[in-house]
Amino acid sequence: MNFFKKFHLGLFVLFLALSNTILAQSPTDELMMPAKEICFLLYADYGQFDQYWEGDFLRSNATIATVQRRSAMLMAAYGLLPKLNVYATLPYIQTNSTRPNGGKFEGTSGLQDISIGLKYELFQKYTEKGKFSGYGSLNFSTPISNYTADYQPYSLGLGTPQLAWRAILQYQWKSGFYLRSVSGYLWKGYTQSDREYYYNNGSYYTQWMDVPSSFNQEVVIGKWFKANVLRVELSLASQRSFSGDDIRPYNAPQPTNKVNYDRVGFFAHYYSPKLKGFGVQTFVQTAVNGENSPKQTSIGLGFTYQFKLIP
Amino acid sequence: MRKQMKSLYTLIVVILGLFLVACERDLATELPFESYEFSSLDEKGGLWKPTLLNAGSSVIIEAPAPITSSEYKSELAATKAGILQMTAKQRTNIQKWTNNSVVRWNEIALELIAKYNLIPGPNADGTYPVPNPNDPDGPPAFPFAHPPYASRALAYLSVAQYDGLISAWFHKFEHKRPAAYVVDPSIPFAYKDNQLPAYPSDGAVIAAASKLILKEMFPLEAAFLDAKESEHLESLALTGEFVKSDIEAGVKIGKAVAKLALERAALDGMKKAQTSKEVSDSIANAAFARFGWKWENQESPKRPVGLTPLFGKVKLWNVPTVEATRPGMPPAPGSAEYEADVKLLLQYAENRTVETRKIANFWQDGLSTYTPPGHWNSFADQFIVKYKMNTLRAARTLAYMNMAIMDGGISCWDAKYYYHYPRPIQQIKGFETIAGTPNFPAYTSGHSVFSAAASEVLAYIFPQEASKVRAWAEEAALSRVYGGIHWSFDAKVGTQQGRNVAQYTIQKAKSDGAN
Repeated sequence: MNFFKKFHLGLFVLFLALSNTILAQSPTDELMMPAKEICFLLYADYGQFDQYWEGDFLRSNATIATVQRRSAMLMAAYGLLPKLNVYATLPYIQTNSTRPNGGKFEGTSGLQDISIGLKYELFQKYTEKGKFSGYGSLNFSTPISNYTADYQPYSLGLGTPQLAWRAILQYQWKSGFYLRSVSGYLWKGYTQSDREYYYNNGSYYTQWMDVPSSFNQEVVIGKWFKANVLRVELSLASQRSFSGDDIRPYNAPQPTNKVNYDRVGFFAHYYSPKLKGFGVQTFVQTAVNGENSPKQTSIGLGFTYQFKLIP
Repeated sequence: MRKQMKSLYTLIVVILGLFLVACERDLATELPFESYEFSSLDEKGGLWKPTLLNAGSSVIIEAPAPITSSEYKSELAATKAGILQMTAKQRTNIQKWTNNSVVRWNEIALELIAKYNLIPGPNADGTYPVPNPNDPDGPPAFPFAHPPYASRALAYLSVAQYDGLISAWFHKFEHKRPAAYVVDPSIPFAYKDNQLPAYPSDGAVIAAASKLILKEMFPLEAAFLDAKESEHLESLALTGEFVKSDIEAGVKIGKAVAKLALERAALDGMKKAQTSKEVSDSIANAAFARFGWKWENQESPKRPVGLTPLFGKVKLWNVPTVEATRPGMPPAPGSAEYEADVKLLLQYAENRTVETRKIANFWQDGLSTYTPPGHWNSFADQFIVKYKMNTLRAARTLAYMNMAIMDGGISCWDAKYYYHYPRPIQQIKGFETIAGTPNFPAYTSGHSVFSAAASEVLAYIFPQEASKVRAWAEEAALSRVYGGIHWSFDAKVGTQQGRNVAQYTIQKAKSDGAN
């Protein structure tokens, strides 16, 4: 029954149309690929928002009307060693505003950031009631096309290398219920804008913008159903940036903004018992609170296929 | 196996840790430069022709006490004592202000422009609030430091500095009282030796004049500007160059020229530049009656009044009348020339490249930035340091450039509201841009006029840089067409307009005695 040993994108999809980051590029769950097995995920999602937090003020802005963001992503996971998985992700993103809008800004599209990650199983302890396990993961991403991060809210991403360190702890009861905590430190580097001056609570005479790093926390409650054919999760994902400025009144966001959010989500993954190795997953996520981030709702659909690479 | 994995992990952590440290960047918050030796002293600078004053000698200050007097000797002792007790913070401040504080006060102005360059958003009922100088707290805060506002703030700042420094130079070389470190060689001088007489302090003129001008332009920043001025004056007293009376005399001159400048500003017509809807509509309707077209704001909700419809009526510095530089009529919508431009814009939109995007973004200088006039001030600051100008030459450069920029703005706004020509997004159905379309008519392009005017003055003052700055101005003009917010004739005619405007200022510069 190794079909459940797949990864998925999880609810930790960093799904910010604006200043924040990429589509989930990182392994944030407890599932490990068996050695020599590979899994592919083809994934599409759609998100939109017509309100955003400017500082902590929730604003509508007819200049941008409703911002739409679509992405398609290919991800691969491979069991390098029994306790070590590697991951690679490549997302394509497209953004625009609905019409009519007051700004008449052109949307953008293109490849965003390539990411490569590692996940290592630190421990697994079986108790009478269930299983307690812990994992550490490391994910690096960097832009793969020369998109401009400083074209918000339409930019594809933050335009900077990022490094995510995560600790994953999960307790699973024999009943199939589980609780998971994913704590991450996301280092975000600098992005090069096209201008040589910007205001970030003061003058900056440089093209380089410091993108605030953040602490990210996710709490998940989930359950396996029908002998591990289906799993369903509810989650709360939060980001708190360590620095950064507020979006200025009625002005466009910029990569230096302090982006914080709390998002709730629902996720389900179905592993086909008939078509061996195939799975389908879906999620819905919506922002319930934030600072300098969009009040965005997203839905996604993905297909997974897992097989032994070297028999 | 487990052990191997552990060491692999440790290795990765170490490598990535090093990578992170190596990636920290130092982001410049001002032009990086240190004290330098001035390329000229301009001993006759006090006889150059000022703009607001009749002559450098017009501001009268008392003759300084001779260096042999007990009065001077006690000031000298105080200067020395102050230097001996200097704190680390004060030392840093001296390095920060440098021996050319014209650049630093210019940067303070640019920062305030960027800080206040925010367009008011709509109220809940769809109306728009207007910043009010009589209630600067707002919301919205006063001012909205848009490009015309910025050009004016910078012009008054630089002209006051320049006039004040002409006066300072006059008195310096009339009295020739040496610097403290020259009188007493045991006093260390913080900057490169410059042999300028110390009375009055040029730095103090700059500090006092700049503070007063900027306080008027940015009333909510009074406390910030007072603190900057005190820090600067304190710093001057610790450089080893000035004694107390040098600084006091400089402050006196600074205050006198600022007063003159602000008297002019109060009556230059800027207060009436932002009009009521009735006046704005009548201007639009007059254009429609004359030409058969009118620009209309396309935002949502629609802004009822464009930006400063009467900025074109503001008092010019060096151009005799605004009609003298008003360009000819733009191509009528529907004409062959117009249709060719529609085609061109659609072509740019369909074939955006990394390069055209970069150009559009580089020159955008939009909301929350120092605006195009600010961008050119930043270029000028770099040339001033590169060519090691003294404070007087630096202020002269900025004064002429900023007068030309403001005259350019006035001339451009005159054309904008005279012709009231629509923007591409108003004319071309479904057209989208990569830059924000501003709230005023298209013809001619503000960026083009500001940039051409600025570049001509810089080309005159720095002939070695002439071809470079002119090419920049042309690129700045073209950037607006790439951005999709201007017609190519807005840019082309605007560039020529800016060049024409600048000639009046350059004529004045040629005869001010500095050459």
